[in-house]
Amino acid sequence: EKDESTASKDSTTEVASKSQESTAETPKQKLLDIIGNMKVEVSYRKKLQQLKTREIKKQATNKLEGTDSESSMLQKTTEDTQRGKPLKPELVEAASAVASSLPLNKKQTESELLAQLRRHEEITEKQKKGGTINIRNVISEMAVKRQSSAQRGVKISSRISLELDEDGQRIKPERLSPQSFDSRRYFSFFFLVYRSLKVGRRLNIFTKASTETENALKTVSSPTIWDLEFAKEIAAITAQPPRNGFEEMIQWTKEGILWEFPIDNEAGMEDDAEFHEHIFLEKHIEDFPKQGPIRHFMELVICGLSKNPYLSVKQKIEHIEWFQKYFEEKKELLQEI
Amino acid sequence: PCTRQVRSYYVDWRMLRDVKRRKLAYEYADERLRINAIRKNTILPKELQEVADKEIADLPRDSCPVRIRNRCVLTSRPRGVKRRWRLSRIVFRHFADHAQMSGIQRAMW
Repeated sequence: EKDESTASKDSTTEVASKSQESTAETPKQKLLDIIGNMKVEVSYRKKLQQLKTREIKKQATNKLEGTDSESSMLQKTTEDTQRGKPLKPELVEAASAVASSLPLNKKQTESELLAQLRRHEEITEKQKKGGTINIRNVISEMAVKRQSSAQRGVKISSRISLELDEDGQRIKPERLSPQSFDSRRYFSFFFLVYRSLKVGRRLNIFTKASTETENALKTVSSPTIWDLEFAKEIAAITAQPPRNGFEEMIQWTKEGILWEFPIDNEAGMEDDAEFHEHIFLEKHIEDFPKQGPIRHFMELVICGLSKNPYLSVKQKIEHIEWFQKYFEEKKELLQEI
Repeated sequence: PCTRQVRSYYVDWRMLRDVKRRKLAYEYADERLRINAIRKNTILPKELQEVADKEIADLPRDSCPVRIRNRCVLTSRPRGVKRRWRLSRIVFRHFADHAQMSGIQRAMW
């Protein structure tokens, strides 16, 4: 008795929630729901085909009658209720198997499962009915919404323009340059369209395309011209012109046009070398012959470079290396002398 | 929008030539310095110095800094140019009278 009552309660709860988001307490009920949903999806497409064939036949036979679709659907519903063709033998077998697996009353569970399946099919038929007729309503709704969003955009723009015209001294006249004006309009428009797109039932017309492969392809073939232009557009929109003299000065300091205050005299210089690298340059002369006029000359050069505070260590080393090369090229001349 | 005059070209061809000379002088400055260091020497042998003379003469003519003329930046006037402002005396007077030169005042004592 208790099992029967629980089973009946479960069935009612499932019916109440239309079998889509039932709070299944036990895993067995979850299994039931999954199986039931799966079977419904399988039968949906074949149902469509059956419907089309039946409609064609009945339209051929009943040309004069009006509301052909409705009459055909009515006939089908009567057929369904009679436990005829629509409930497939596969489904029946699956239901019986599930019922046998469960510990409860087999016959009762089987009957309840079949009833549930029938309800599934009724719902799908209702949706199909609604699908064929309500598309027009949905389209009209969509059209209405689009107009409203456009109207709303216009209203916002009118509001903004009113603000400008009425009080030229208001807080925001400087911000509303033509760029921000259009961007605001576009943003509001897109926002409203996006909202209207989300509202409404799913029509189940399109199947979910696999976006993963597309993303993989996109990452490989980058950057396209369109991506670059998009990035440029974003940069142009985000980089608003400065409203202030202060903001202009900030921009200039970032670019490097304006110096940073308080001024440090060593702003561009990054001399990490210590004093001994500047002064003791004798390491670099080791390649030269130790005696002779060249050595004398190079020692003078080094003396002058060590006293030079304006050159970096790299520049001094470059000077010495240049002299090395020059004297190596002129070795023949020197040997003649 | 810029309210002042926008100049996208050099004032005249002489200014352009001066600009080219300055660029070349900057590029060859180090080489000229080193070769001159060899030339103006009492220690090194004279033959070396003569070779150095020939080398420095082979460098392009516009690379020597002596050819640069400090022209006025706005009018390209070669004479009457004050070094601190790089402007000719006429332009300087014009801007000073319109109070566009910072810290410049008509002298009176």
